[in-house]
Amino acid sequence: MATPAIEFRDVSLRVENTQVLSGFNLQVARGETLVLLGRSGSGKTTTLKLVNRLVAPTSGEIRVNGEPNNGVEVTRLRRGIGYVIQDSGLFPHFTVEKNIGLVPKIEGWPRDRIQARIQELLQLVGLPAEISTRYPHQLSGGQRQRVGVARALAADPEILLMDEPFGALDPLTRDELQREFLLLQQRLHKTVVFVTHDLREALRIGSRIALMEAGKLVTVLAPEEFVKSSDPWPAAYVRAFGDGLDAAASRGVS
Amino acid sequence: MTRSRSKIWLVLLFPVALLSCSSSNSNRIVVGSKNFTESFILGELIAQQIESHTNLKVERRFYLAGTYICQQAMLAGRIDIYPEYTGTALTAVLKQKASGDESDVYQRVKREYEQRFALTLGPAFGFNDTFAMEIRGEDARRLHLKTLSEAAPFAPHWRAGFGYEFMERADGYRGLAQTYGLHFREEPRIMDLGLLARALQDRQIDFAGGNATDGLIPALDLFVLEDDRHYFPPYAAVPVVREQLFEQHPEIRSAIAGLADKISNAEMQRLNYAVDGQHRDTQEVVREFLKANHLVQ
Amino acid sequence: MNVVRFMVQNHAQVVDLTLEHLWLVGLSTVFAMLIGIPLGIVIAHRPRLNKPVLAGANIIQTIPSLALFGFLLPVPWLGARSDRLAILALTLYALLPIIRNTYTGICGVDPAVVEAGRGMGLTESQLLFQVELPLAASVILAGVRVAAVISVGVATIAAAIGAGGLGEFIFRGLAMVDNRVILAGAIPAAMLALLADVGVGWLEKHSRTR
Repeated sequence: MATPAIEFRDVSLRVENTQVLSGFNLQVARGETLVLLGRSGSGKTTTLKLVNRLVAPTSGEIRVNGEPNNGVEVTRLRRGIGYVIQDSGLFPHFTVEKNIGLVPKIEGWPRDRIQARIQELLQLVGLPAEISTRYPHQLSGGQRQRVGVARALAADPEILLMDEPFGALDPLTRDELQREFLLLQQRLHKTVVFVTHDLREALRIGSRIALMEAGKLVTVLAPEEFVKSSDPWPAAYVRAFGDGLDAAASRGVS
Repeated sequence: MTRSRSKIWLVLLFPVALLSCSSSNSNRIVVGSKNFTESFILGELIAQQIESHTNLKVERRFYLAGTYICQQAMLAGRIDIYPEYTGTALTAVLKQKASGDESDVYQRVKREYEQRFALTLGPAFGFNDTFAMEIRGEDARRLHLKTLSEAAPFAPHWRAGFGYEFMERADGYRGLAQTYGLHFREEPRIMDLGLLARALQDRQIDFAGGNATDGLIPALDLFVLEDDRHYFPPYAAVPVVREQLFEQHPEIRSAIAGLADKISNAEMQRLNYAVDGQHRDTQEVVREFLKANHLVQ
Repeated sequence: MNVVRFMVQNHAQVVDLTLEHLWLVGLSTVFAMLIGIPLGIVIAHRPRLNKPVLAGANIIQTIPSLALFGFLLPVPWLGARSDRLAILALTLYALLPIIRNTYTGICGVDPAVVEAGRGMGLTESQLLFQVELPLAASVILAGVRVAAVISVGVATIAAAIGAGGLGEFIFRGLAMVDNRVILAGAIPAAMLALLADVGVGWLEKHSRTR
């Protein structure tokens, strides 16, 4: 792999008396969508937060674009990484445009550039332009999540971290957003680390799936390999999720 | 969001804005007084004198409960003049030991007030309202008592009553008892100043710490024992004024000067009695006094 | 009504005393906000400090106001001017509601929103001023409202130590045994309290985010 966009080297995290992560090694290539798959408590969200230093490791190193991520000023690091969480985490007291425009504003972009960027992003995520003056509580769950993605992309970061972003949505909306995410990725080619516990989602959108269990990386496989794998953990997942996975695995945009 | 933020600033700045328009009404003089009859009379006197000799409007802020409160009101500019006593100013405000005669004390207080507080004294009204240790007239005649030293041996047979401030002040009861070796039958009772004279007459007490200008002294045949050891400092009644006021309004200075030495001890007793004993209206009594002394223009 | 006539006749003094009262309450509430809000923010971010700070403010509130005025009288610089003293005492009384509501308000901000903000690269001070404080504003203002209303009441007692204000009418009326004078102090004071309640309450309502 050319310089990986993100690299975990022997990362361990101990919180009080729990070993949350141990001996974690992983490389994420530029432009790929790496899915962190695991059940609750597997350490996948924590792993995500290690990338933008919302959490610091007990030992080991995380590198972003070849540089250790604790060598650069933390807000600088974070502004170059988009962060989308479940239920969007939009600022309830800001309009859609203030939410999206926040990072560009504190980065000192001129007003018209910000306005143009907001319009561009709204189009990108499939939202009408008039929505920019509404408040989050006036939007549906799906709309909020789209704004969340737009906000994360505002300053055009290379890397996007997404923590179960579609988890709180109804199945129809989830399906819609997954499809749109794929289209977006085809256009933008961002490096995405995507956390989910849903194998179907993982197979559909991931270029590779990193399976985690109890703080350890179990295996990293491409979706087609994952469904056919005879390793115990992947196989257990496949069983748990039942049929129709082949279709998902071939990422049908039906 | 920004709209409410600017509203918050408005609310915070509003009281500040209000204050700056309050006390800059420089054609208005506020006269204060303490909360007993003699102080009202003097306050009213000052007020009416200023009203009749100048174009200024006078506000009365009477009933201030004590020396400390009056002093605070002067310092804060809430009142411009009030009647005080030199001895009280010396011991209670300046916290110095009393010594020297009447004019010494007056000069000292005037100097210190000017230096420390930018306040000054007008000329004295003419009477000395020192603490008066009173006994019933009949007792004084029967026992041939004229001075406190002569009365001291009889103290163990007597019950005493004093006002609250007298009991607490350094120049009050403690010093008196020490100077004259007074030991009363029991702990002295603390009473309202206005009730002391009657309590004495009704034989509830035998020795009262009143004031030399009590209106009831002649009225109830009470005798004031002489302070032969000069324990009490002089308490000449004087107007305390903000220096700035005299500078801004020289007409006030001359108005106040017109009151200098106009009230003797006997005259003050009479005025006090008119209000306390005869229950006449203070403003009326003062108006009458000013006319009788040709002080009204 | 007798009281109304009395107040009209003495309107200059009613205005004077009301302005003095406003000065005492206004200044002390502003000081309490300047001290209490930052303190509330600190303990919200450092939970270990919250018990001692809240306990301290609580203890101050339990001291009867007249007693607090009395304690502070002999203190050198403070006791020299009773309005200084009164403002300090009023500030101390206003602290608890403000600190406590700031603490509750900031703790009540959705942690997911704060984390999203942090993850986006907002500095701690940007987070505080652009996210936490605006979202906590209505709760904080509720604390200011309580503090202001309490202050109006405690400030009437300040007249006992010579700090002026509407309490002067009340004490004078008591000494003169004249109800009109008492009411001339009590009614404006009650109206001020109501004004503070409604006024800050309005601000509180308008800073609420859904």
